[in-house]
Amino acid sequence: MISERRRSPRGVLARLHSRHVLHAYLFIAPVIILFGIFRVAPSIQTLLYSFYKVELLRGRFTFIGLENFYSLLTDEIFRRATVNTLTYVITIVPISAFLGLVLAVLFNAKFHLKEFFKAVYFSPMVTSTVAAAMVWWWMYNPQFGIFNVLLKLVSLPEQPWLMSSRMALPSIIIFSIWKNLGYNMILYLAGLQAIPPQFYEAATIDGASAFGRFWRITLPLLAPTTTFILIYNGILAFQVFDQVFVLTGGGPAGSTNVVVLDLYRQAFERYNFGYAAAEAMVLFVFIMGVTILQYVYSKRFEVAY
Amino acid sequence: MTRGSKALAISLAILILTPAIALAGAAKKITLWYPAGDITAGAAHFADKTLFADFEQKTGIKVEPVALDYDTMQQKIFAAAAGKNIADILFVDDSWLPGFLKEEMLEPVADAKAKAWLNAVSPEIRTLSDYGKGRMWGYVQYGIDVYGLTWNKDQFKEVGLDPEKPPKTWAEFREYAKKLVKRDAQGNITRVGYAIRHVGQPHGIVHKHFWAIYGAGAALIDNHLALRGGKTLINTPGGRAALQLILDMLDVDKSTSLNFPDPRAAFLKGIASMQISETVSIRARQPKEAPDLKWGMALPPVPKAGDRPATNLGGWLYVVPRLAKNKAQAWRAIEWINSPEKDYELCKKYGASPRYKVNWEKEPFKSDPYDQGLKQLYPYGIKLPINLGFNGIMEATGNAIQKVWHHEASVDAALAEAERLANKAIADAAK
Repeated sequence: MISERRRSPRGVLARLHSRHVLHAYLFIAPVIILFGIFRVAPSIQTLLYSFYKVELLRGRFTFIGLENFYSLLTDEIFRRATVNTLTYVITIVPISAFLGLVLAVLFNAKFHLKEFFKAVYFSPMVTSTVAAAMVWWWMYNPQFGIFNVLLKLVSLPEQPWLMSSRMALPSIIIFSIWKNLGYNMILYLAGLQAIPPQFYEAATIDGASAFGRFWRITLPLLAPTTTFILIYNGILAFQVFDQVFVLTGGGPAGSTNVVVLDLYRQAFERYNFGYAAAEAMVLFVFIMGVTILQYVYSKRFEVAY
Repeated sequence: MTRGSKALAISLAILILTPAIALAGAAKKITLWYPAGDITAGAAHFADKTLFADFEQKTGIKVEPVALDYDTMQQKIFAAAAGKNIADILFVDDSWLPGFLKEEMLEPVADAKAKAWLNAVSPEIRTLSDYGKGRMWGYVQYGIDVYGLTWNKDQFKEVGLDPEKPPKTWAEFREYAKKLVKRDAQGNITRVGYAIRHVGQPHGIVHKHFWAIYGAGAALIDNHLALRGGKTLINTPGGRAALQLILDMLDVDKSTSLNFPDPRAAFLKGIASMQISETVSIRARQPKEAPDLKWGMALPPVPKAGDRPATNLGGWLYVVPRLAKNKAQAWRAIEWINSPEKDYELCKKYGASPRYKVNWEKEPFKSDPYDQGLKQLYPYGIKLPINLGFNGIMEATGNAIQKVWHHEASVDAALAEAERLANKAIADAAK
């Protein structure tokens, strides 16, 4: 009876299906295993560490419950780092998305040397953040930097840039926008080129102005791209570290200290791994929350075509 | 046993024993990690491939120096220790010791060896080596860091100051700086009388202002040799005076500026007439970066005549990690390179100041003006605290200095916050 069922077309299909499923799992197994080892396991370990006082070299782990999290609530340095990180995220994400869109719209037209300029705008993205930050450090130098030379040329007052606690964070934001702009531009360009031209033709025939076409067609149809850019840039912005480490080291006077830099210091300068893990978990909750919020909210604007 | 099986047994035995014999005959290799680049003059000799040649010939132990990036060296050492795959010898900055001690990462120097070393070396090396009751965690390298006031003699002459007479008191210091500052037609400062370090890692900021804090009677912590407990003495009249001094130079005298972030570079470029930092660094960089610069070196100024000057004393040490695989060989190599003979030979070769009392009696050190100048600074040198909350104290103090000079907080408010944060760091580390 069993062999009859096996021989039946239904049984053969079922066997083939299960074999395909098995093959599919086998194919993705290396990625899943590596992801588990290098991403999931350390994340779980970080979560566990956040409830312990961790003395790594002594191999001593003392369970302290939520004490690390309670300490975070009263930690002035962490509070300031959080405010700086949020300021950074809130500023850089919309500005770099907006400028990326503007550039994409410009590059969507045909003009001479377009590909060359596209490469120029994209080049910061493929440059090492640390190397680029080192160059910008010199550009921001109050005595010898090009920014002050340019300001002087147009008779504007020279600025202290990274030397001032008021200007240091905006200076880092300017650098980061320059660094990310090309990537956003390319994504928007891809989004723009995917919009069927018939929509624009129909709108033009109906007498829509250029701004009207942009507002009513381009922007809504770019909603999925915008969602991706906002989420992706938001996640990256919450994790900002390299440029801060190189340009200011978190100073002056903690004015550019950010959460990742603070947790790095807690872990590798003060050897408070449990506390650093708690900071990482708070950051994780922030990123997760903002991502969900952005995703749910942006669904409203999605248009299928 | 047949002849065939006998032959097989012998062949197998030879096969098994050959690698063991070969390994036993080969030199034992140990590793030494040190900072790459010009971080410290004391690390220059590691670039010499023949440095340990005599030692290797004598003992059969090969020492392999490996250069690490300074900025991340501390973190790499810790990660390697956590992974139980660390070098046998570490060449480390003494300001890293509190962190390492907190994790019980280092092997102490044997009592008898420590006693012999402390008796043989000069007082400043003794101060740097002794971590309380003769306890040593490593051997201090030659060419230690002592901070001193350095000034540009030509610029002193240019403004009518005696190029051989540095300022001795804070009042003189301010007057000199006011005379030395230079401005362009728009009134922008193009040369500062005195360059201050006010950006970057808080540690560096504290180091560069240590002379004023301690000179005025304040302190980072009440007991420098206590690993746990204690309290900061930064929020005191001395601490307030030390921060106010530079604030007045910024706002009242306008003899310094926030636009000259690296005092040593500014001094060597001729855009700062005075600065206070590691003299050994100016000595090493000046011939390459400013060959025409004529400079003098003296103790940092004191609040008023008769006060005792203060300056910071720091150094690099050879240490052995607790988890090193070849501890005995590591100590042998360390003792060899820190012997009186090698101290003399290497200091003479690299133009550094020696550690052994006996070597100070020999030429060229006996009559070298730079070395003799350093001897005037050493007695006033203060070693950094080893408290386990040290990093927190430095961060709190460095941030307070920055806040005041950047006009983000008053001296009183900034120091009150620093005191709170530093004492919290001390208490947390003691738990």
